[in-house]
Amino acid sequence: MSFEFVTSGKPPISPREKKFSHLLLFFEDVVKVPVFGCQHCGECILSSTAFICSQRCPKRMRNGPCGGTGAGGWCEVYPERKCVWYRIYYRSKILNRLNLLYKINKIHNWNLEGTSAWLNVFMKRIDAPIWFVRSDKKKVKEMLSDDVQRKN
Amino acid sequence: MTFKEKIESGTFIVCGEIGPPKSCDGDVLREKSKYFKGVVDAVNITDNQTAIVRLSSIASAKILLEVGVEPIMQMTCRDRNRIAIQSDLLGAAALGIHNVLCLTGDYQKFGDQPEAKGVFDLDSIQLIATAAKMNSGFLLSEQEMKKAPDFLIGAAANPFAEPFEMRLIRLHKKVKAGARFIQTQPVFDMDIFTRWMEKVVEMGLHEKCAILAGVMPVKSVKALYHMKKEVPGVKINDEYINRLENASDPKEEGVKIAIEMIQALKKIKGVRGIHIMPVMWESITPTIVKETGLGII
Repeated sequence: MSFEFVTSGKPPISPREKKFSHLLLFFEDVVKVPVFGCQHCGECILSSTAFICSQRCPKRMRNGPCGGTGAGGWCEVYPERKCVWYRIYYRSKILNRLNLLYKINKIHNWNLEGTSAWLNVFMKRIDAPIWFVRSDKKKVKEMLSDDVQRKN
Repeated sequence: MTFKEKIESGTFIVCGEIGPPKSCDGDVLREKSKYFKGVVDAVNITDNQTAIVRLSSIASAKILLEVGVEPIMQMTCRDRNRIAIQSDLLGAAALGIHNVLCLTGDYQKFGDQPEAKGVFDLDSIQLIATAAKMNSGFLLSEQEMKKAPDFLIGAAANPFAEPFEMRLIRLHKKVKAGARFIQTQPVFDMDIFTRWMEKVVEMGLHEKCAILAGVMPVKSVKALYHMKKEVPGVKINDEYINRLENASDPKEEGVKIAIEMIQALKKIKGVRGIHIMPVMWESITPTIVKETGLGII
């Protein structure tokens, strides 16, 4: 296996850290809930999903849309809503962040549910956000060719 | 030759599909398997499709093995968390079931028990990666197994749902995670499928996995209307609706459409096989396979 897809639970969360995490979550919520509709997964991948929270998907998909996105991009479960991944794709295209969609996101660590993602980044439990992306098209090509090399 | 060897050797592949019954009557499966035995290379066993309770896919796959039909067990993420998924995969391997099709699963709202809790602990790509990791001898917990399973991992792709390019990204991720064959949703729009296949070939994905195009024979125009209205992510060309509506014998016309479609799909570059999905019409499979000159008969 050439890529990691399980979030390590290390370092473990101490009770003291948990208290601090709750405090930090309050400030995180002030930004993330009204702007992104944060679902408190504690394992934020907003930066690789063009700053749209993928956890608002009814199936909580972390790696792209399911096969039920209808014509016009409507969600199959809530037909009055747009599929979050449909929005993520088009915004990634506008922001030139398509190469980030090729990355396989890790399996959710439920121990981190309801903790502060900022603190988890600081403690190196989860990957740091990617703020700026340069030469998106070149990187997409790299992602595709990287795979060929891996096979050889 | 097993299904795995066929996928690796590069022969043209034909798959079928059986939906297990809504009771504990295993004879239904034995009866249905007659239409597939010696006709197709392997048969999909659906895992509580459209979120309606049915005989479990592991038990059904075992019944098929007993009657000499190679099963492809579907595994969805709707009903199991990561512990149950790994346990079920180990159980399947112990029973001799080595072909797994990894799916996210239909949302529980579409079934007869919409009040159920959906699990969705993993998604399909993570499920593929989990099965691949188990093949390498390790569980998700990094614990090494004394005996590693040997799964042939498959996945689904829907070229007809939007956005088009995102579907290719998903396919790329599935192949990267470890999928060795891909079954597509039923084709009812040749233009989109051809365009999708061109892109797949351009990305070189057809060399890393076997792409099996889905074909669904339909009995009546009502079925097509139902799919167009009720099933999201399905595109149906009006040509087929018109043809079925004007036909004097819709059943015969449905078979004719399926045969024509298979012949057209065979010619598309990169298509390694056909996946026939005769929903509630299993008896038609031998006719279609014979008429198109596919399969092992």
